[in-house]
Amino acid sequence: MAGATLNPPEDLPLDLPLDPPGWTRAPERGSIFWLRVMIGITGALGWRAGHLLLFPITAYFLAFSPRQRAAARQFLGRALGRPAGFAALWRLYFSFAASILDRVWLASGRTAGFEITVHGLEALRQRMAAGQGCLLFGAHLGSFEALRAVADAGCPVDVAVLMHEANAARVKAVFDALGGAGRAASVIPLGAPESMLRVREVLECGGLVGLLADRAPPGQRLQRVEFLGHPAPLPTGPHVLAAMLGVPVMLAFGIRLGPRRYAVHFEPFAERIGGGGRVGRDAAVAASVVQYAARLEAMARAHPDNWFNFYAFWQEGQP
Amino acid sequence: MTTGNATTSAAEFDPALEADLARLIVGALSLEIAAEDIAPEAPLFGEGLGLDSIDALELSLAISKAYGVQLRSDDERNHRIFASLRGLAAHVARHRAR
Repeated sequence: MAGATLNPPEDLPLDLPLDPPGWTRAPERGSIFWLRVMIGITGALGWRAGHLLLFPITAYFLAFSPRQRAAARQFLGRALGRPAGFAALWRLYFSFAASILDRVWLASGRTAGFEITVHGLEALRQRMAAGQGCLLFGAHLGSFEALRAVADAGCPVDVAVLMHEANAARVKAVFDALGGAGRAASVIPLGAPESMLRVREVLECGGLVGLLADRAPPGQRLQRVEFLGHPAPLPTGPHVLAAMLGVPVMLAFGIRLGPRRYAVHFEPFAERIGGGGRVGRDAAVAASVVQYAARLEAMARAHPDNWFNFYAFWQEGQP
Repeated sequence: MTTGNATTSAAEFDPALEADLARLIVGALSLEIAAEDIAPEAPLFGEGLGLDSIDALELSLAISKAYGVQLRSDDERNHRIFASLRGLAAHVARHRAR
């Protein structure tokens, strides 16, 4: 297609912002481009045709994204405890491409043909029944879309997702491409002074607010914590938010297990972070970030091919 | 009484309230500057004082406690309210219960 740049994979449209040094903005268009290609092909020929397309796409991404490949290799080496070979890299890239394909279905609610097993739904239901709202901390691990497919299905309360404004625009582009409507309305854009007020308002009505708590772009509140044996910068903002609002937190991961097979995990994380007041809050937040890193590490080790942070996660050499 | 000031009418301008609010901002957010050093017209968010949306939440909790004034995400005046200390003071002056 003339004029279209084919770029290596970048973050998914539902992702939080990221602009660490060495990270170009161009690949964001690449992921939207591929999504459009897949929507076109699968719309005309079905999921199987789209799935076949994953092989050349994966090969392309692997061949032409040296920086992302190096980052992926570093992560896999640390997660697997041995140097990552081609097979491990292929699995990760293939899984990433497949999750983009699956999103086309999941985002539009067409879950027939998918096998999504859910763990911890009862705990989530109890949270919702309590009516005090709940924050869901996710990560760029697997598919947030699989998670939403579950959370949205017959969910009695509002579900909103907190994400960067630029990404919110990309999400809207995706929904427009799908011809869908409505869902994008429950996106709370980050970056405005009133963003967190909106989060509070959704929670006060007993709603769920999801956010991805694993990326710390420069300039954000962050804390370096041990992750897979090396200190990684993780954002403290989500934990501060939870502490300030005094709401419970659950972790949420939508793990891709295989072709159209997902396991969605909801797990209780904290009744509340800190005691409510400002006293001791910093310490409670710091402990909470460490606890989150430990859970993320366990999930990443168990499902290394679901790690969709294609950048130098540890940002070594940065303050 | 028009003043030509686009953000605040003269009737809402209250130096004492601005000074109070400046102290509340410094206290609530544990800022390392003196309250008097917050310029009334300087931006609070992004540039200027450099606050973020989590600070905004913290601030809204403190303002609610001190003045009984709620900050809401859907207030169409938000761009003025969050623009500066003066904008914030004007909002509090309009809605304060105590």
